[in-house]
Amino acid sequence: MIQVVLAVGLVALSAWAVASFPRSVLVFLLFQGSLLFAYVARIPTWLRVGLLGTALLVLMPLIGFFNGYYLEVATQVGIFVALALGLNIVVGLAGLLDLGYVAFFAVGAYSWAIPGSPHANLIFGGNAFPLPAWSFYAFLLIGLLVAAGTGILLGLPVLRLHGDYLAIVTLGFGEVIRVLANNLDKPINITNGPKGITPIGRPPLPFGVPYSEGFYFLVLLIVAVVIVVNRRLEDSHIGRAWEAIREDELAAQAMGVPLVRSKLLAFACGASFAGVMGVVFSAKQIFINPESFTFLESIGVLAMVILGGMGSIPGAVLGATVVTVLNLQVLKGLSLWLNELKNAGVVVFGYSLADLPTQLEPAKYERMIFGVILILMMIFRPQGIFPARRRARELAKQA
Amino acid sequence: MDLQLLVDIFPQVVLDGIILGFMYALIALGYTMVYGVLEFINFAHSEIFIIGAFVGVELLLGLQSLGALDAVPWPLVLLLALLVGMAGSGLLAVTVERVAYRPLRSAPRLIPLISAIGVSFFLQDMIRLFESLWHNAFNLVYPTIDALNVRLELTRTIDVPVKSLVVILAALGMLGVLWVLVNRTKVGTAIRAVAEDQAAASLMGINVNRIISLTFLIGGAMGGAAGVLFGVQYGLINPYSGFIPGLKAFTAAVLGGIGNIPGAMLGGIVLGLLEAFAASYLSLLTGGAFGAEYKDIFAFSVLILILIFRPRGLLGEVVRGRA
Amino acid sequence: MEARFEARAVTKRFGGLTALAAVDFALESGIVSIIGPNGAGKTTLFNIFTGLYPADHGSVTFNGRPLLGLRPDQITTLGICRTFQNIRLFANMTALENVLVGMHARITLRFWDVLSHRGRFREAEGGLGLRAAALLERVGLRAHANDVARNLPYGDQRRLEIARALASEPSLMLLDEPTAGMTRGEASALMRLLRELVADLGLAIILIEHNMRVVMEVSDRVTVLDHGEKIAEGTPREVQTDGRVIEAYLGTRRGQRRHAAG
Repeated sequence: MIQVVLAVGLVALSAWAVASFPRSVLVFLLFQGSLLFAYVARIPTWLRVGLLGTALLVLMPLIGFFNGYYLEVATQVGIFVALALGLNIVVGLAGLLDLGYVAFFAVGAYSWAIPGSPHANLIFGGNAFPLPAWSFYAFLLIGLLVAAGTGILLGLPVLRLHGDYLAIVTLGFGEVIRVLANNLDKPINITNGPKGITPIGRPPLPFGVPYSEGFYFLVLLIVAVVIVVNRRLEDSHIGRAWEAIREDELAAQAMGVPLVRSKLLAFACGASFAGVMGVVFSAKQIFINPESFTFLESIGVLAMVILGGMGSIPGAVLGATVVTVLNLQVLKGLSLWLNELKNAGVVVFGYSLADLPTQLEPAKYERMIFGVILILMMIFRPQGIFPARRRARELAKQA
Repeated sequence: MDLQLLVDIFPQVVLDGIILGFMYALIALGYTMVYGVLEFINFAHSEIFIIGAFVGVELLLGLQSLGALDAVPWPLVLLLALLVGMAGSGLLAVTVERVAYRPLRSAPRLIPLISAIGVSFFLQDMIRLFESLWHNAFNLVYPTIDALNVRLELTRTIDVPVKSLVVILAALGMLGVLWVLVNRTKVGTAIRAVAEDQAAASLMGINVNRIISLTFLIGGAMGGAAGVLFGVQYGLINPYSGFIPGLKAFTAAVLGGIGNIPGAMLGGIVLGLLEAFAASYLSLLTGGAFGAEYKDIFAFSVLILILIFRPRGLLGEVVRGRA
Repeated sequence: MEARFEARAVTKRFGGLTALAAVDFALESGIVSIIGPNGAGKTTLFNIFTGLYPADHGSVTFNGRPLLGLRPDQITTLGICRTFQNIRLFANMTALENVLVGMHARITLRFWDVLSHRGRFREAEGGLGLRAAALLERVGLRAHANDVARNLPYGDQRRLEIARALASEPSLMLLDEPTAGMTRGEASALMRLLRELVADLGLAIILIEHNMRVVMEVSDRVTVLDHGEKIAEGTPREVQTDGRVIEAYLGTRRGQRRHAAG
């Protein structure tokens, strides 16, 4: 009972606080924390669903009304949740360490960015492009298919490799895609190289919804679909076959699981989530270039999966939220705060902060965050924060 | 296509390839030795390598600020830089193994690999943090030593800076020392024994943990030496510039047969040459449509093809089964 | 007349070692045991029968279909399934899930059925659960359905492996030392179960076994391998009195020879 009151109270209070102090990062973090509490608290399911539903469908857009940046953060979180869920299939369920996952995100993004902008005219001539804005919705499916196809094309040769070799080869593949994106501005200008592509068309939205809200809801919808798909796969013979492969490849095959086909399916499913989100991402950003698709991003998504718990859907959601918020808000907040202190001439232990080197920008230390997450989780809690039911048991033995 | 040009640049390309190749070979040794002993890809080795470059540049900058850089004879300066670079990288490698890998030795294979990726990223930003606080800059330039930049004109079209010759000689010396160490000393025998069969080695009274630490120390030191030479040869370093050479050196190790020390050297030279040729000739041969930017793709393609068609590499034995 | 399962002149070399030298083997029905000293090539034979190793020479047919060159999962689909000498369960999945994975080859659901969760999917999935539970019941593990395989006692793990193999609806089952590590009582119970399976389902079984009491009690026929060669074949009684077999087991002459890889 106490938990019910606490959960409702926390969500309500923090939502009010965000509305009242629209600039405070801390208050927004409190709001996110209250949602987490509502998720884990011992409260009736209907209340949990009600609280989370209200928060995501009503409160969040309202908060966005007061401070658009928060809605942007929430949308980014949603994009990364979908990516983490996709990678979770590949790494968490099938046990295939893919270090080039962001390549599929890139493939999805370019598959809309090129025809959705005037850039395609450079390739095909004429002025048929950009395609009409509504075709964006068709490209959600096309992006999915292109990414899944890329996953299969990559998977065919490399899925025979095991464990750590597969990891390195997928890393190489990710880099190849990035180098291609960077250099395919000649002989035919396909990607426009490092300059990137812009302006990328945005989809028409019903009822005159503004774009920030529109993308938020679109991402939310896709995340919901992705979660449902993920769960259904996990609870089917397909998901069980993936886990069997993760546990013992040879035994799985001897029990009738076709290895290559199952692994390809895992690769294609993971890739397709990234492909869809790539399409959304390119439209949301209007501008994309290869910088958004680096190895750093792949490892970021991996850190999300590891932090939350390999093979765990709630884990992937939590991991994506925490890491994105750390990057977008905490690190940036730290940077701003440090600058304020410097400008105010604050002195700590006789050391004037104004003397701190200008190159010291906390916002740039994403890698350190990812690195610390990966190392600490592997050493102290390899099953993640929200362990998958069985994964937890596997890893408990060597803890 | 200008055939004469292709012929004229050929020796220069070979030379570039060899320099690059020795660099890869030195770095590849770290990957291959650790893999031989633990069957584990030390993903952080690329940062262990670049730390060597940073330790070296700190020494040179320190000497420069003391005004001693030109006063001390350059071979001594270089030797000193190599030694501190090797010490820095070697000790770091041992520490990393102790902190981030050893607790995970009995875990499923992917667990230590993920930890190693974490270490790689962590170290990159640690270097950045340290250098930002220390110099307020993390892109550092190796101070020039004039004697090293003298160019020896071999023919009308080829000239070699002294530093390139020094790099080749130093790398050769390093590889020679390593060869003696592994094949002609008791420690080397112990390392080979642990690589062959850990349990048996430990029954024979070999302290396996110490040998593993030693392997990291030696592999790290080779990486550190490569780091200093990298700095001397190419000048500009930053915390992230170890990553791609590291990946290529790993490719070289796989190419030569991972776990195989002569294989790593051979793989390094072959990859260096391949890359130099790709960088110089691709653009010429395709009329500028595809340029040197594709040399990285070239290296990765080599990696993928080798792993698929000849996973044991040029000199390696059959890779042991794993899941 | 071709037998239901027939291997002809199966040969396998590992480097310089000949693990199997032109071994013939045939099985119509019932339980056939393969015995022999360590390193005789018994498990190698299983690995070739189930597609885990390629053979260097020879042929293997099942119901007239050649098996060599097929992948392990294809062979399972044809109705041959096996257990492993060193127990290879999916250690972190529950007993029930292990059995469900065993059914993979018989599941006809398509990707789309899984995503859409149509009635067809629910029905099929429900059916699988019931069948899995029945199989666990059969091997006496019903109460442990939701235990993680890794936590089961050794004997239970062996039985779970058999249930998992049965889940693929095989008509021929290869068991690699199923009673290893079991108590006398457990082993006898298991043998009763095997006889029941043969009687009820018309299942044929090839058994690799070291426990001679078990072999003699349960087998219809026995094949003896030594150093990759078949040295005897017949009813348990015939084999027991065969001079070469006794020699192989006591190692009077051949014991000095180098053992081939198992």
